[in-house]
Amino acid sequence: MRVKLHDQTAVLLSSAALLFEELGRTLVIADVHLGKSAAFRARGLAVPEGDTRRDLERIRSLVIGQRVGHLVIAGDLFHSRAGTTPEIIAQVDRWLAELPCPATLVVGNHDAKLAQLPDRIATVPRLRLAEVRVVHDPTKAEAGPFTVGGHLHPVIRVADGRRSSLRLPCFHLSANRLVLPAFGSFTGGHRVKPTKDERIFVFPGHEVIEIPPPLWR
Amino acid sequence: MPAERAILPFFESRGWRPFAFQRQTWKAYREGRSGLLHAPTGLGKTLAVWLGPVAEHLARPAANAGRHAPFTVLWITPLRALAADTLRALREPLAELAPDLEVEARTGDTSSSVRARLRRRLPFALATTPESLSLMLTHPDFRERCAAGLRAVIVDEWHELLGSKRGVQTELCLARLRRWCPELRTWGLSATLGNLEEARATLLGSAPDPRAVTISAKLPKKIRIETLIPREIERFPWSGHIGTRLAPEVARRLDDAASTLIFTNTRSQTEIWFQELLSLRPEWKDQLAMHHGSLDRAERQTVEQGLRDGSLRAVVCTSSLDLGVDFSPVDQVIQVGSPKGVARLLQRAGRSGHRPGRDSKILGVPANALELVEFAAAREAATARKLEARRPLERPLDLLTQHLVTCAIGEPFRADEMLAEVRGTHAYRELSNEEWAWALGFISNGGRALASYPRYRKARIEDGRYVVDDPRLIRQHRMSIGTISSDGHVVIRFANGRRLGTVEEGFISRIKPGTQLIFGGRRLELVRLHQRVATVRIPRRPAKGQIAVWSGSKMPLTTELSHALSEMLQRETDHRSPPELRAVRPILDIQARWSRIPSDDELLVEFTRSRHDEHLFLYPFAGRLVHEGIGALMAYRLSSRIGEAVQVTMNDYGFCLSARRGLRLADADIRSGLTPALLREDLIACLNTAELSRRQFRDVARVSGLILQNPPGRPRAGQREVQSSASLLFEVLQRYDPENLLLAQCEQEILTRHFEVARLEDCLLSLEKRQIHLIETINLTPMAFPLWAERLSSTMPAGDAAQRLASMLERLEEAARA
Repeated sequence: MRVKLHDQTAVLLSSAALLFEELGRTLVIADVHLGKSAAFRARGLAVPEGDTRRDLERIRSLVIGQRVGHLVIAGDLFHSRAGTTPEIIAQVDRWLAELPCPATLVVGNHDAKLAQLPDRIATVPRLRLAEVRVVHDPTKAEAGPFTVGGHLHPVIRVADGRRSSLRLPCFHLSANRLVLPAFGSFTGGHRVKPTKDERIFVFPGHEVIEIPPPLWR
Repeated sequence: MPAERAILPFFESRGWRPFAFQRQTWKAYREGRSGLLHAPTGLGKTLAVWLGPVAEHLARPAANAGRHAPFTVLWITPLRALAADTLRALREPLAELAPDLEVEARTGDTSSSVRARLRRRLPFALATTPESLSLMLTHPDFRERCAAGLRAVIVDEWHELLGSKRGVQTELCLARLRRWCPELRTWGLSATLGNLEEARATLLGSAPDPRAVTISAKLPKKIRIETLIPREIERFPWSGHIGTRLAPEVARRLDDAASTLIFTNTRSQTEIWFQELLSLRPEWKDQLAMHHGSLDRAERQTVEQGLRDGSLRAVVCTSSLDLGVDFSPVDQVIQVGSPKGVARLLQRAGRSGHRPGRDSKILGVPANALELVEFAAAREAATARKLEARRPLERPLDLLTQHLVTCAIGEPFRADEMLAEVRGTHAYRELSNEEWAWALGFISNGGRALASYPRYRKARIEDGRYVVDDPRLIRQHRMSIGTISSDGHVVIRFANGRRLGTVEEGFISRIKPGTQLIFGGRRLELVRLHQRVATVRIPRRPAKGQIAVWSGSKMPLTTELSHALSEMLQRETDHRSPPELRAVRPILDIQARWSRIPSDDELLVEFTRSRHDEHLFLYPFAGRLVHEGIGALMAYRLSSRIGEAVQVTMNDYGFCLSARRGLRLADADIRSGLTPALLREDLIACLNTAELSRRQFRDVARVSGLILQNPPGRPRAGQREVQSSASLLFEVLQRYDPENLLLAQCEQEILTRHFEVARLEDCLLSLEKRQIHLIETINLTPMAFPLWAERLSSTMPAGDAAQRLASMLERLEEAARA
């Protein structure tokens, strides 16, 4: 699904990612939260591992499938200090080495708590892509250019009053910003209540669908 | 009777004589037996089980030479609210017989100073709940204290615990106590059940004392069941909700009684009826109260006290007042809406006349015409003593893992000894070696799925024993002991901090700050909602407010009552018929004319068309849970065949399938949709899409300790990183550890509890033999209308998220074109 972001055209992908075709095929994702299950295990909660490998694999196939020139992670690549075990850092390092394009991490609030981040990833507080700015927490960004961010893990409740409602992760687009859904497979969400002039896009299957306001709850 | 002589003065000074069942119980106890005692409430069950141990103690003066009597009796009560009453009841005879014997209570409500005192020394008798008992098992010195003198465990209201995870928790605790104190005698108190022997076997464990006894009080208590019959039955809805139309009549009945309990089936109904009665009798403002489980403890205690001292005219309540609190002044009980079961109606009736020799009476207030007949059917079933059974649960593994951690904290255990102990319970008597190995793995290193759980550890193994000694894990575990979930609850309080109770997040998030709601009988204005705390104030000017609603599941009509109802509907009506049946005759006649009166020995199927859809109505008469299951099953089997999404709605009498086309079926098609072949496979297949396991998983995750229990308010920094919704965890387990037995348990719980799969299977087998009457109707019949109307609040759509979304969008477009 193509959308206009300020002066740029971008594609919303059903894998919770944003692609700028005309800016060297730059792919933006947010909130991967690697090592979240490890953080649970460290606290004596028996949550199985698997999310890290799966999510890294999902990003890799997306990068290859979309012939991505630059991967941008809009924050919270990692979940927590307790969950970022040496094994996971090593795993991410190997993965970065095999990635066919450079990667940039816009440091998120969770990443900031880590003692150290992998060497192979460039880290920046924010990033400029032509007239568009990529940040982690869009609520903290000062007024200015069009902003793409994550952090909020937006989820929309969809209902038509005839059957029970659905709760779906979504892209939340307003006049001056786009909030990306959380990419990680072990991430929750926060419900958004959009206003009429905003737009909501969901991706329950293999395509991105815009939800018209009458179905928002 | 040698020992019991010491306790007779208590009876003599009151001019009483012990009942035969009390003497029998004392004797059995003296002989070292365990057992189950069942009698209606208000007949002196407490004295029967309590005075045995007291008499034994008094008969051993030599052993009592020390300053304090040892910890001898453990009294388990299902509700912490009952603990205070229990204390009073236990202390009363002691004041006369043995003033130096101490009785204390330890529950979640006990103050920390009393708890600290109890940590130092336990009294002669301690009243507690299953949760608090589990918690005590985590104290390393508890074993020693028990071994020093514990002789009797008494489980009060065992029928309430039986059939729930709290009952299984009690079983596990009892098994532990029995191992520590081999001479321990276990006694249960129970109201009448359809399966008393099974109840006893569950209480006493898988290797029960062959000398154990069941003692019944042979005192028939008279119970009178009447109903309010509305004057104009034709204007009375056939099914669904009547609202509070009969409230004026109910208010008039309150005038004649000194003190009335008004039971409703849900918390919201309690709120609604309280408002209605208050508006009809404003002069009773201070004598009218309400009671339900979401009100704050202090609020509830004030009401309970008012009932005890007779200062309240009437209390509107839910099952929160079903249990044994002794409210002697109550002389009238009213049941609003069908009680849905025979035993429940009797239990509630027993809340009045709570004294030996007094009659109990209950007035039924039907919510619709069919409920009128339900009351009459319940009365007949009660007279014929056709009561429901409560089935004990079979080996819930979430609870086992919780209990293993509890035990490992208190005292490191050896796996083989613990296995023998656990298999000693009724619930886990058939625990397999694989399940046991999995449970041990779950609490230690991930077990066979070790590779999926790097760096995970709760218990470690030292010298062949399982140990949990990490202080943080111990604290975390102690906070999450128990099986009752408070997830998703929002605390309601005033700005000064006074708590009023809890509401569900889903409800309160729909209320805008500045607007009003009605909760706990009060009109409140929401100031703000923050971190699961809703701050409210008394509004200056009353405005329209939404009444609080809770989403609990509705009780299904029991098999016993469904059958009695179906049987009664078939009867010819004459002047000897129950008045309720005579009253609804005009509506039954319409049903008979347009279609047929359904019954549970045939199957009535009605087909009809509405503007957009086709509908098929089936009436198996098997209770709403079974109908939900059969409905989902049939919808699943049909939708793949006709290529249309099929929607299901259900009530206690039947269910309705709706689709845009394709439901005009022949008998054979209906039969194939209802075949019991591949029942479980098909049910499980439609469960995956219906997301029910996912919902069920919340409880399982909570009990097994996968989700941390957080008090309302902002979670502590460390907690926030390990917050996850149950549904997300469910997906993670499904994806990365599909063999996890908690997933299988979830599926099993959905099948047994949500769909009553055993009953469902019986129902399908019976439907195979029943004759089908397929009738095409022009109008919705009286039986069909409520099912059709329920379509608007359907809860179980078919298809995955993408399909469901597509159909929503399609409808929206259609509506735009029209």
